[in-house]
Amino acid sequence: MRKIHVRVAMVYIVIAIIFLIVRSFIVPPSFGEYGWYRGDSVSEIMNLSVKHAGSYSCSNCHQTEYKAWTTGKHSTVNCESCHGPLKYHVDDPGGSKVEVNATREFCGLCHNENPSRPEGFPQINLESHGNGFTCVTCHNPHYPWFD
Amino acid sequence: MKSTRREFIKNFGKIIPVVFFGLSFKKFIETVSAKENASTHHPGGDYDWNQHYYAFVVDSTKCIGCGRCVVACKEENDVPKEPFYFRTWVERYVWLNGEEEVKVDSPNGGFNGFPVIYDEKEIRKSYYVPKLCNQCDRPPCVQVCPVGATYKTNDGVVLVDEKYCIGCRYCIQACPYGARYLYPKHGEREPRRNTADKCTWCYHRITKGLKPACVEVCPVGARKFGDLKNPDDEINRILDENRVDVLKPEAGTRPKVFYLGIDGAEVR
Ligand code: HEC
Ligand code: HEC
Ligand code: HEC
Ligand code: HEC
Repeated sequence: MRKIHVRVAMVYIVIAIIFLIVRSFIVPPSFGEYGWYRGDSVSEIMNLSVKHAGSYSCSNCHQTEYKAWTTGKHSTVNCESCHGPLKYHVDDPGGSKVEVNATREFCGLCHNENPSRPEGFPQINLESHGNGFTCVTCHNPHYPWFD
Repeated sequence: MKSTRREFIKNFGKIIPVVFFGLSFKKFIETVSAKENASTHHPGGDYDWNQHYYAFVVDSTKCIGCGRCVVACKEENDVPKEPFYFRTWVERYVWLNGEEEVKVDSPNGGFNGFPVIYDEKEIRKSYYVPKLCNQCDRPPCVQVCPVGATYKTNDGVVLVDEKYCIGCRYCIQACPYGARYLYPKHGEREPRRNTADKCTWCYHRITKGLKPACVEVCPVGARKFGDLKNPDDEINRILDENRVDVLKPEAGTRPKVFYLGIDGAEVR
């Protein structure tokens, strides 16, 4: 082997080693743990905070509403569909106040007549039904109809 | 033994390749064993992602277009409230009398519900179609990512690593369903700014045994979520007993969101 070959090989190897060292600094340690991505990213996403607590979590404190709700027509409608995400409230009920939207427009989101809705779904004419009173004057939102 | 500087350098030159090959062999062994580990090994404590494989069913015959899912999704996942940023949205399909072409609209993604725009008598057929990421088994978005910032988990969900994403938008272009968007600069969640964002089926909820937020708040059960690996899960019964469609089957992406009651070729 001639000297020039050895020198070229040396230069090549040194560059390769520098590359490997730099790479080990740039690539995060968990990269490639499960595949071609940063493995820690999975647990980071798993640890994001939950904001909807689920209807059952309201049962202890709001027994009246909860009991009525389970037997009424709105039992398929999650408490948080109407009241918004309330994990923060379940964790700290004395904290910031829960907004309650009792406008006609709000009930209308689901019940206003709209020909794109499935026919069997109970719909009313938002303009005329109930003579403009808020819906909750006649219907209990937690137990809207009798059976 | 006395050696010259020249000899010393020569000998050193012989050692380096040996060390180098030794190290790369070690690295090789490590990667191979990591691959083997991936099936037994899992991130995140009690939750074993190898025990689950998820699917989603959208029953468009039940959807009433109230948009509560769109609102809940944005709240749960810090998606900016203004239009154009959606992880899930609802479309209205309308066929008018005497017209071939279907009319599709989605005002603010359905966030504020749907105003009545046609008279009942003009309409031949109409229904709502909720849309979200299909968590494809063959995700084109993952293939095009140049840095490995988006990937498929062992339980079948496609995720984005917000710390690794460089915001190049290739994945947004590659998705045939338009399920991805670029998280804006003013977004609430700082590390996610200027990165690609998409539905994760609420990965932080499902890995705790909860349902995705949109499923949770749907008042009529138009959205169903479940685990294909759990034989008692109702999702298996729904998929067995119904004729289901997926969106754009011709794209070859193998979606895991299955639709009931849509006109296959026309809803895309
Ligand atoms: C740990 C007990 C507790 C739990 C759990 C809880 N709440 Fe409350 N909630 C309270 C208390 C106490 C108040 C009264 C606070 C106040 O008036 O400021 C309240 C107030 C409210 C209000 C506002 C009432 C008003 O008149 O303004 C609503 C709406 C509400 N809760 C809904 C819910 C829902 C829905 C859930 C389930 C997701 C829930 N709460 C879970 C204790 C609880
Ligand atoms: C269909 C929508 C809807 C659902 C579902 C719903 N609520 Fe309400 N809730 C309302 C409205 C509207 C009001 C305001 C009623 C009023 O002003 O008289 C309200 C008021 C309340 C209040 C305050 C009561 C008061 O007298 O001030 C509580 C507490 C409450 N809801 C808890 C719950 C809980 C717990 C659930 C689930 C079991 C639930 N809600 C489900 C719409 C809903
Ligand atoms: C998130 C959607 C949603 C909202 C908001 C909502 N509802 Fe409902 N409502 C439903 C569903 C779902 C049913 C059950 C329909 C069924 O049985 O097919 C229902 C049933 C009813 C019924 C019984 C109708 C019947 O013929 O059985 C009444 C009355 C009613 N709601 C009134 C209200 C009022 C008043 C409000 C506002 C406080 C309201 N709803 C808000 C979804 C909603
Ligand atoms: C003045 C009292 C009153 C008010 C206010 C009122 N309703 Fe009613 N609602 C009734 C009565 C009575 C019925 C049963 C008779 C009928 O179908 O008209 C009814 C029936 C319904 C039904 C069932 C319709 C069906 O076809 O099964 C729904 C849904 C409903 N209301 C929703 C609402 C909503 C939403 C509002 C607010 C925009 C509202 N109501 C306001 C008295 C009222």
